[in-house]
Amino acid sequence: MTYRTHALKALTVIGALVLMAGCGSGSGGSSTGGSGTGGSAGAPVHGGNLVFAAVQDAQSMNATTVFDNNSIWILEQIFQPLYTVTNNGKGEMPWLATGYKVSANKKTYTFTLRPGVKFSNGKLMTSADVKFSLDQNRKATKGWAYLDSAIKSVDDPSPETVVINLKYPWAPILADLSLFANGIVPDNYGGETEAAFYTHPIGTGPFKWDYWHKGSALKLVRNPYYWQPGKPYLNSITWTDVPSDNTRELELKGGQAQIDQTPAWSTVASLKSTPSVRMDLFNSTQTNYLAFNELRKPFQDVHVRRAISLAINRNALVKAVLFGNGKPANSLFPPQVPFYDPSTPGYQFNLAEAKQQMAESSVPHGFSTTLLIAAGNSDYLTIGTILQAELKPLGIKINIQQLDPNTANADFQSLKYDMSLTLWTMDIPDPDELATFAVDPTSGARSFFTAYDNPLVVKDTHLAEKTLNTAKRQQLYNIVQTDAAQDAFMAFLYYSPYPYATTSNVHGFYVTPLGNMHMENVWLSK
Amino acid sequence: MGRMSFVGRRLLQLVPVAVGVTIVVFFMIHLIPGDPALTILGIHATPQSIHELRQEWGLNRPLISQYWFFLDRLAHGNLGKSLIYGTPAATLIMQRLPPTLWLIVYAAVIAILISVPLAMIAATKKDGIRDQLVRAVPLLGLGMPTFWVGFLLLTLFGVTLRWFPVGGYGTGFFGHLHAMFLPALTVAIALAPVVIRSLRASMLSVLGADYITTARSKGVPGMRLFVRHVLRNAVIPAITVLGINIGFLIGGTVIIENVFSIPGIGELMINSIFQRDFPVVQGVTLVFAIMVVLVNLLADMTYASLDPRVSFDR
Repeated sequence: MTYRTHALKALTVIGALVLMAGCGSGSGGSSTGGSGTGGSAGAPVHGGNLVFAAVQDAQSMNATTVFDNNSIWILEQIFQPLYTVTNNGKGEMPWLATGYKVSANKKTYTFTLRPGVKFSNGKLMTSADVKFSLDQNRKATKGWAYLDSAIKSVDDPSPETVVINLKYPWAPILADLSLFANGIVPDNYGGETEAAFYTHPIGTGPFKWDYWHKGSALKLVRNPYYWQPGKPYLNSITWTDVPSDNTRELELKGGQAQIDQTPAWSTVASLKSTPSVRMDLFNSTQTNYLAFNELRKPFQDVHVRRAISLAINRNALVKAVLFGNGKPANSLFPPQVPFYDPSTPGYQFNLAEAKQQMAESSVPHGFSTTLLIAAGNSDYLTIGTILQAELKPLGIKINIQQLDPNTANADFQSLKYDMSLTLWTMDIPDPDELATFAVDPTSGARSFFTAYDNPLVVKDTHLAEKTLNTAKRQQLYNIVQTDAAQDAFMAFLYYSPYPYATTSNVHGFYVTPLGNMHMENVWLSK
Repeated sequence: MGRMSFVGRRLLQLVPVAVGVTIVVFFMIHLIPGDPALTILGIHATPQSIHELRQEWGLNRPLISQYWFFLDRLAHGNLGKSLIYGTPAATLIMQRLPPTLWLIVYAAVIAILISVPLAMIAATKKDGIRDQLVRAVPLLGLGMPTFWVGFLLLTLFGVTLRWFPVGGYGTGFFGHLHAMFLPALTVAIALAPVVIRSLRASMLSVLGADYITTARSKGVPGMRLFVRHVLRNAVIPAITVLGINIGFLIGGTVIIENVFSIPGIGELMINSIFQRDFPVVQGVTLVFAIMVVLVNLLADMTYASLDPRVSFDR
């Protein structure tokens, strides 16, 4: 009897502890709802902690050197540039600057700073901060300095005026300035070292630093000095690292998270019909490509590349990979990029013409090749499997080579592959970044790691950078898009949106085609 | 030999184990293709920027020289800095270790709480319906993939009933106890069948021993006989089984951590391998090795404490 009692006691204690824990403390970071001023779903209310379930953790908060999107989308809530991307992703609007004047020779831009903008430590932002910030980015040779390469110097003649001197007239200057890496930090990092500063960064954005438990959660809290009156609405945002698609979805449905970043495509339809969930597909600049390595035979043969491009049924890819939530690609540029040409003759599915191109090629009877993909990427594996079947009628036998992501990336970037799958998203609202990256073999990326080299395309791309007349620039980019499509240096596969699922009490959440989020506009209804 | 010298001798064994582990892991992780610089620089990497970063990290030096540098730092208690985060690897590991330890200990406790009563129920009526049920039903837990069991529990108790959080580690002791219940239960469901079977078999063997007959003839009451004489003797093989399984569990928590979004060391290990974050991979492996040795040491000590015939001499 005694021992039965002990065993029962032990079980009771455990049960009670679990129950107490359930009643008493709740889980980490699970609070929802606003504590603010009340109001209907139509009127923003203040308060609440929003939990953002992200696919992976951030890497760094150093805006000048980080390339990882998860880091960028967080640090954009802390640092702000002089100009920012418009909601349609095709232009720029004044942000920490209110406007600018340009000299007659188009080489000097004088910006007027927005009055009264303060950093999250309460200090007023001045032109010295802007000069320091831009100069820091221009020095970041392992980072984003290349996008500021047209800038010759930055001057701060008065506290509210900044002068940017260019080496030559440069069409994408405003787009370049809207890059997060050109966000404004305090002059001389407020007296700290660069490394120390980025462990608890200070900016003019709607949120300020709270903590970062690496690999687990990163929290930002409301910046009381934010320059937009009444904003932000949220008290805080916590980004949690939830790599599993299923767990992010369950956290959303269980009310533990309010935003699910990138739900699996297979779940989009069911999430759309879930009552407490809002499923958004935001227009994006994400474009998926099949890259051909022109250093390897037979991909230097344009007929082979065209044949493959023509044999790919893009609608089938969109249906199989994106569950219908995307569009076949026709151009190197996605539709959300300025100067995109919808009439670009990018190759679409035409098996008869594909066979014709193959017959004209150096390998009319087909060949064996390898498709390099990152292991664990189920979308890429689906594409690879479809490509295996679709290229078979051309006599092309594809062996799928799955390597771990880091190795696959290394092989792709060092051109140790035959064919590979890759993608692109824009960082600035101007095609210059993508065009130079993709078609210039002398750039660091060696034409998107394909070794593609068409001097005419390169010439037009660089001419467009320095052409300020919009109509002329459009003409040049039309030619670039047409030539690149006809050369089929990559097969343009599809354009996909950004999928985000939110709980129905989240309002004002919007993602621009470049991936930027203005979290100052987001609020939680009760 | 006394208990302390036994512990000391076993702890000394950690040194060659740790050195062996560092050698294997260091060369394996450095010899496989891939580059941490690419993780940082991504698609914008240039040969120049890759070279500069590798130079900064000391990765352009010969491997032997890098290994010696690693050992030298380790001797001074320094695991180096994470190449990705730029923070000390030891700090990252220490931040991520508690959730994993919680998971393992909590799962072991739940597994014991499930296994002991069920094994007793089964052993008291050998080949009866209760025994058949206890032998068969827990096997379902062993047969089902742990991630699937995890998602089932999450859907029922996290989303539908909302008794437990869907993911995370919780805050404070009771927060951890609450948040970690479902993940620990998931692990325990997989662990319990092995322990139940081992415990049941030992109990049946002990029940047939002469000293049990003697105790019965002396009129020792049923439950007292079971707990004091049967369970105490039967639990020894089960502890060994549990110890071995926990050893495997230490390196295998990553799936549970992924499903329940627990910021543990298993997930840190996998991410660090993918990112080629060498100092963190080396550090985590070292911690795993130490933990496995310690768990086995603990199992041996428990074994010796329960069985007076076992001494610390060997």
